[in-house]
Amino acid sequence: MNKISIPIGPQHPLLKEPLSMKIDISGERVLGGSLRLGYVHRGIERLAQQRSYTQDIYLIERICGICSHIHTTTFCHAVEALLGIEAPPRAHYIRALMCELERIHSHLLWLGILAKHVGLDTIFMHVWHDREMALDIMEGISGGRISHAANQIGGVRFDLDKEKVAMIRSTIAKLHTQVEGVLDVVENEPTLRARTKGVAPISADLIKKYCVVGPVARASGVDMDLRRDDPLPPYDQLDFPVVTYPDGDAWARTMVRAEETRTSLTLIETILQEMPDGPVTTRAPRRVPKGEVIIRSEAPRGELLYYLRSDGSDSPARLKIRTPTLAALSLLPQQLSAIHVADIPVVLAGVDLCVACADR
Amino acid sequence: MIEGFVYLLLFPGLLFQVVCGLAFEWLDRKFLARFQRRVGPPWYQPLADLIKLFSKEDLLPEGANNVVASLLPLLSLSAVLTAGLYVPIAGFSPFSFEGDLIVILFLMSVPTLAYYLAGIVSVGIYSILGGGRSLLQFFSYEVPLLIALSGPAVLGGSWSVERIMASQASLGPFILFQPLGFILAVVGLIGKLKRDPLDIPSAKSEVVGGSLTEFTGTKLALWHLVMNLQAVVGIFLLINLYLGWSQIDHPLVSIAVFVGECLILTVILSGASAIFARLRIDQLAGLGWRILVPLSLLQLAVVILMGV
Repeated sequence: MNKISIPIGPQHPLLKEPLSMKIDISGERVLGGSLRLGYVHRGIERLAQQRSYTQDIYLIERICGICSHIHTTTFCHAVEALLGIEAPPRAHYIRALMCELERIHSHLLWLGILAKHVGLDTIFMHVWHDREMALDIMEGISGGRISHAANQIGGVRFDLDKEKVAMIRSTIAKLHTQVEGVLDVVENEPTLRARTKGVAPISADLIKKYCVVGPVARASGVDMDLRRDDPLPPYDQLDFPVVTYPDGDAWARTMVRAEETRTSLTLIETILQEMPDGPVTTRAPRRVPKGEVIIRSEAPRGELLYYLRSDGSDSPARLKIRTPTLAALSLLPQQLSAIHVADIPVVLAGVDLCVACADR
Repeated sequence: MIEGFVYLLLFPGLLFQVVCGLAFEWLDRKFLARFQRRVGPPWYQPLADLIKLFSKEDLLPEGANNVVASLLPLLSLSAVLTAGLYVPIAGFSPFSFEGDLIVILFLMSVPTLAYYLAGIVSVGIYSILGGGRSLLQFFSYEVPLLIALSGPAVLGGSWSVERIMASQASLGPFILFQPLGFILAVVGLIGKLKRDPLDIPSAKSEVVGGSLTEFTGTKLALWHLVMNLQAVVGIFLLINLYLGWSQIDHPLVSIAVFVGECLILTVILSGASAIFARLRIDQLAGLGWRILVPLSLLQLAVVILMGV
């Protein structure tokens, strides 16, 4: 059959974010593909240099629509490290609580998108319905569903009283039963398994070669999780399993995220139990002393890296952000060969792209 | 003369079938929505969609053959409407003749071929992909469907849908004798209707809109109507061939039973699209030729042996 080239994106029902792919196919076989990025480059790093550190929190929260909290948390950790101050322990626990809620809603959102891509809209509807509970908790405690504005340099902006803790506990319990029901279907549904099992497997060597991080790496048996390997507080005091699967295919990627959702739900219980009392903020000076720092954290999609350099003024001299999606994108052309046209959505969903994060 | 026009335009012809088609679409969407924890559209939504599409601008890409692209939905529509005339509705069938089952099956495959051609003449990349897929799918489901549907004909000793229907009055509904055949026929019907989980030719995340990607306005409205009418005729046909409970003396009871059976089949179709993920085309071909065809042959052999 003749080779034809199909465009996927920047406008395509498959992609909710602008990313352009040219995919060469012959009949139903995919021969290869190429990527084009940069449709949502907003110059965040330059903009951050023009604003003060406090204003930057507002800006950085808007890098990503899913993992907005982990971005500001990492940034605040970086600034706090330069300032030489430490947020109070209770603030760390509240940050971690939000991070885990974010992981849950990010993974559930992803699961819904995968299901929709393989034509299982029922799972999509149910999962997104359940995901709203995680968003409700976040709105209840911070006031924002997606952009929570929870962090400030030296702590968090709100405290949790008894009623809110009770609300979180009851909602999480409800979410847990709902999610268990959905995950049971996801794990045992034969057609979903048939569509993901053995699709576009990645070896652990390739993962390491391309520096791919997060659930995609863990699905290929690479045992890495910054929450355990290089923990920011309070993860050094928390105990949780790191989920890995050896297979490396789309099925393993689904299972890793499903298991991680369970882990995070349990972790929230632990966080609420072990949360110490005390203040949630410390005073932070406006000017940041000269210096540079690298802070890494585990976002829902994997390792998030912030490099921050200060020249002693009240705005950053340099801010470099490396998001987990960037590494996953570099491996995408590799995955887009020797598969079926029908596998393209599964492969794309499998890496859980956040183009807005990658472009910035 | 006047009677003929009534049959063609009102009942069981154009108007009745279009109303049934819209009703089917609404019920299907409503059932699916309830399976998915949604509310679903109000009853007039399919009609509103149809009117809106009719009022939209009719565009095709440069290089597309507008005449052929306009004729294809019309051809499919007339084929399906004609097929609908020969399917008895609650025992009422003014045009029945020996061999009409074959005519119905032939007319029902016209839209599939037209769908393939629509993909080719509208020159979009996704259209061509979708068209090719629809043809591959056709070869996967059509053979088991035809073998399965010949089961009732063999058992009823006739190729007329009405006679097959009538023979169930004495023998009992054929679903009892060939439950496997009924399941195969439902799977084949889902494949024919290109419905989820066999919506491979029009899978949104893979080929955007399949053959119909480039269609707009009136042509797209006609295509949607064709798909709904195909579903209605398919459901009517399955009821006549397998669920012959409608041979009851009182006409009202007979109609009520018929409507009930239609609803059950609609729920089955909606349920199938709610609980299964879409198959890949190679998986469908494997399913069709490795599983469905042997099973349908087995069912046919059992029916023939029963007849002896």
